[in-house]
Amino acid sequence: MSSFVELLTENYGALASGFWVTCRLVVGAFVLAAVVGTLVAALRIAPSKWLQRVGGVYVETFRNIPLLVLLFISYFGLRRAGLPVNAWTAGIAALGLYTAAYVAEVLRSGVFAVSRGQIEAALSLGFDQRQTLRRIVLPQAVRTVISPLGSITIAMIKNSVIVGGVVAINDLLKESRIIASRTFETEAAFFWAAAGYLLLTVAATVAIRRLELRYAIRR
Amino acid sequence: MQGTTWRWITILALALGVLVAAGCGDDDDEGAGGAATTTTPAEQRSFAAGTTMAELQEAGEIKIGVKYDVPPFGFKNPETNAIEGFDIDIGKAIATELGVKPTFIEAISDNRIPFLKDGTADLILSTMTINAERDEEIDFSEPYFIARGRILVKKDNNEIKDVKDLAGKEVCTVLGSTYEETLKKQAPTAKRRLVDTYSECLELIQNGAVDAESTDDVILTGHIIQDDELKLVGKPLTTEPYGAGLKEGDTAFKEFVDETIQKFKDDGRWKQTYDKWIGRYTGEDQEPPTMTLKEAIDLTK
Repeated sequence: MSSFVELLTENYGALASGFWVTCRLVVGAFVLAAVVGTLVAALRIAPSKWLQRVGGVYVETFRNIPLLVLLFISYFGLRRAGLPVNAWTAGIAALGLYTAAYVAEVLRSGVFAVSRGQIEAALSLGFDQRQTLRRIVLPQAVRTVISPLGSITIAMIKNSVIVGGVVAINDLLKESRIIASRTFETEAAFFWAAAGYLLLTVAATVAIRRLELRYAIRR
Repeated sequence: MQGTTWRWITILALALGVLVAAGCGDDDDEGAGGAATTTTPAEQRSFAAGTTMAELQEAGEIKIGVKYDVPPFGFKNPETNAIEGFDIDIGKAIATELGVKPTFIEAISDNRIPFLKDGTADLILSTMTINAERDEEIDFSEPYFIARGRILVKKDNNEIKDVKDLAGKEVCTVLGSTYEETLKKQAPTAKRRLVDTYSECLELIQNGAVDAESTDDVILTGHIIQDDELKLVGKPLTTEPYGAGLKEGDTAFKEFVDETIQKFKDDGRWKQTYDKWIGRYTGEDQEPPTMTLKEAIDLTK
């Protein structure tokens, strides 16, 4: 056990910088996924068939291409095509857009979970379409999807290791692999990497839990 | 009606199964036949029971960890799918000496030492530089090749002429290779971009994501063979003696491997192999290395 502590104290700088890189990557991708995911979900429930189709194409495209392939396209592919994207842009875009497809699907399912009767009731009480959506449907939809959104966030944190590998930025996993290859203390290096990721996923879990306690609909 | 359909499906599936099995069988026969003619000598040397050599003969194969993407040392021939290269030829020589079949498995820089330790590979021949840190973990054979650390840039790059010009530039190298440390020492302000394989470095330098790549000259020569828009610049940064990686403490096996490599150097096979994989492309001549393992380790101290 002492060798584990020693490895941490000796390589604290490298591990901390890797942790920080992973944090920035995850936060960037999260914001992108939330914004794009909401927009795509809006398309999916839009009154126009065509808008719905556009949303559907987005979801099917980004959900059906493996993240690794998306990364190759966004970094190697775009650069080959003459678009000089940098590693961070490519990494955040691929992870964010990939996750956005899942976010959109979850939001859409949340909207459909609100019963038809409530919408009819709202309309018959004189709410117009927009008011019904804003005041009746969305508040309930968002509450039902807190838990699945949490799962998506945790999956995204774990998926971030794929990003670091392809676009060659020194995230937490890469820093610990560098340490492992230099010191041969493989167990200790990966132990601290696991601890770092656990810190992030536990933080996400706690945040979701609190949101759930506050807003989720108790049934 | 339904019964008949199912019967037909079953017959079809069985027929397919037989075809596939026959196909596999053919492959196996060819593989074994090919290997037998090239690697098994008429008479097997015998070794004392309990030694690694005897165990390998018992198993009938030696598992050798090599690179799959580092021409001209270890790479997959795109036409035949066979693994070829300088390291492969040395591996075959060792297998022939044992009278067993060589099985080549991919070992990237980052996992080759764990592979040796956990027995996934019996021997590592993957452009591995001998150094003091690694020598603590595994044993090395005597050096079988001497490479030099160089810098690779695009042909139209006139900014980077030597290692000092790497300051502030993005430089690619492979995670788990010695160049992570070398760059840290010789170009401390260069931004090191670490990937898993040399082919990824090649991609990054081709598409302009990095300014340079630094690693062994022979590996970089391999990149130039693949893409002549690249060039080597600057003086050698390091001397990199390659050794075969062996499990720590297996003295008898190390002696056997050393002896086989020495024979390979002495009887002209080394030079032949050098010309076949490297000399042909660089136009340079080279003698087999005479550096000893101790000298190689002292270099890195």
